[in-house]
Amino acid sequence: MHNNGEMINVNNISVVYPGGIKALDGVSFKVPEQEIFGLLGPNGAGKTTLIMVLTTLLAPTGGKAQVNGLDVVKDKNRVRLNLGYVSQELAIDDELSGMDNLKLQAGLYHMEKAIRKPRIEEVLDLVGLSERAHDRVDTYSGGMRKRLDIACGLIHRPGILFLDEPTLGLDIQTRHEIWHYINRLREEVKMTILLTTHYMDEADSLCRRIAIIDQGSLKAIDTPDNLKKQLGGGLIIFQFDQAAASSTINQALGSLNEKEFVKEITLKNGEYRLLTDNSEEKLPLFFDALDGLKLNLKKVTLKMPSLDDVFLYYTGRQLRDESVSREQIDRVRSSMRRLRKTR
Amino acid sequence: MTTLVMGLKGAYYIFWREIKRFMGQKMRILMSLVQPVIWLVLMGSMMARLTDNPVTAEMIGIDNYLAFMVPGVMMMSSLYTGVFGGISIIWDRRMGFLIKLLSAPIPRYSIALGKIAALVLQTIFQASVIVLLAFMMGITFVTGLPGIMLTLVICGLFAAIMSCISLFLSASIRTPETLFSVINFLTLPLVFSSSALFPTAAMPDWIQVIARFNPISYAVAPVRSLVISGWDWSTLFTGMWLLLLMFLVFFSLVYYRFEKGSLL
Ligand SMILES: Nc1ncnc2c1ncn2[C@@H]1O[C@H](COP(=O)(O)OP(=O)(O)OP(=O)(O)O)[C@@H](O)[C@H]1O
Ligand SMILES: [Mg+2]
Repeated sequence: MHNNGEMINVNNISVVYPGGIKALDGVSFKVPEQEIFGLLGPNGAGKTTLIMVLTTLLAPTGGKAQVNGLDVVKDKNRVRLNLGYVSQELAIDDELSGMDNLKLQAGLYHMEKAIRKPRIEEVLDLVGLSERAHDRVDTYSGGMRKRLDIACGLIHRPGILFLDEPTLGLDIQTRHEIWHYINRLREEVKMTILLTTHYMDEADSLCRRIAIIDQGSLKAIDTPDNLKKQLGGGLIIFQFDQAAASSTINQALGSLNEKEFVKEITLKNGEYRLLTDNSEEKLPLFFDALDGLKLNLKKVTLKMPSLDDVFLYYTGRQLRDESVSREQIDRVRSSMRRLRKTR
Repeated sequence: MTTLVMGLKGAYYIFWREIKRFMGQKMRILMSLVQPVIWLVLMGSMMARLTDNPVTAEMIGIDNYLAFMVPGVMMMSSLYTGVFGGISIIWDRRMGFLIKLLSAPIPRYSIALGKIAALVLQTIFQASVIVLLAFMMGITFVTGLPGIMLTLVICGLFAAIMSCISLFLSASIRTPETLFSVINFLTLPLVFSSSALFPTAAMPDWIQVIARFNPISYAVAPVRSLVISGWDWSTLFTGMWLLLLMFLVFFSLVYYRFEKGSLL
């Protein structure tokens, strides 16, 4: 196959839905063979739409896309032979048994008769459904159904596997098992995997590279580490006392913004997020900048940038609400007291 | 692997799934058995009174209305099995299962082909039950076992035509309710303007004209001759030929719709 080592080649793809919604707006990227590639983005960003284009289910309104060197519009049938697709919505027949769902999948993907049975047993074992294999799917729990769905996507060991939020609704243990298997598949079967997820830890530990997509266009694409590095060292997150006058706050922000160590200050949920290169080192400078102003800080938190911050930086939205624990607040308070005393 | 082989294999697995589902639906199997019983026993015995009257008996052209009814009931059950069969596409779409079928390496027409094949098999199963039931009620085919076999083929062909219509509609219709109302709108007039349940001689002239060109009439007539009068080759030939032609036309429509249009 003439894919030049690229499993996916998306070139300036646009999708406008009949209603006029522009779901994708000139997206381009490449995924080399055997990479696990993560697609992150808030709800409605266009992730599923992109996967639908790559799985030949939706013709793009503009641009070109190739899977394993085959055009997704002109060469639909051959593209489909190369792929496995676990859609965001469950796609299993709940009136059949788990076993029959897998048999159907093996048949639809033209698997050789001889390998069907061992392969079915293998994936059943993997997703922990061996014992329930002969029960009808409508007697399964939600998580069991999702596991079966994933098993269906894996059974024919496709060259490229599309997983649209594969671990949504699964317990942590199963999620880790699935990750483990996804990694193993990539190594043993030389599979390329494109997955979307809303779990940052999943993207961080699983994906070699990540693309962040928002409102139909690509915002960033790189390895998780590079993305975090690009964001700079860290964040100082702070809140002013409720009693603080807005003029004083503005004055404070103004003086902070003048400082060299401050890259950017954003406001989110009443919290100010100050971007700097090393939040721990720069904390004294932060307090210096506020010195002399009649302002009480309610709380200050230090944070090294996580993938969440990268996501937030590029999309302006947070994937999950993070609640800061009581302990964390206390810890920061005491460290602030310590800092005050030493000065 | 050629596309045709992929298509046939795909159709086989779609067929296999539909049959598996059917076997799992005890209630559906039961109803498919009970329905003809109700038609035959209730309607049949009620209408049998008609033939007590010499005038109506002459109109029907036979002194046993039940024998007249059996082919009609067979065709009715074939019609309904076929014409509601397309609903499975709507359910597949709702379940998200259609996505799986559409992204699989099988041509799209094989989805339709597999479903049609499964509906044909269910129809043949139901028709066999009706034959058995009729036999228990004292009605035998004058053409014997070969006649019964040919009858089952005609029923299957008729159901295939009806399922093509249903699949064609369901490709664009998104809710079962809409499909039901469209189908009722189409089939009720078709049934009552056909010779399935009433002899055409008993109808007003203008309905007689419709009945003449009604596809149900063309399917019923050969079966009726196989039950009542014997090997009437010209009726058989006309009926079979027309049914086959209709199947080819409607399957081409479905083929085109599935291959070229969006199913999601
Ligand atoms: N069938 C459709 N018809 C019209 N608009 C659609 C259709 N499917 C999706 N959209 C729109 O396209 C945009 C992208 O949707 P898409 O499903 O690709 O997002 P997503 O990134 O997968 O979101 P999520 O994380 O919620 O799954 C949204 O604005 C959505 O409303
Ligand atoms: Mg989605």
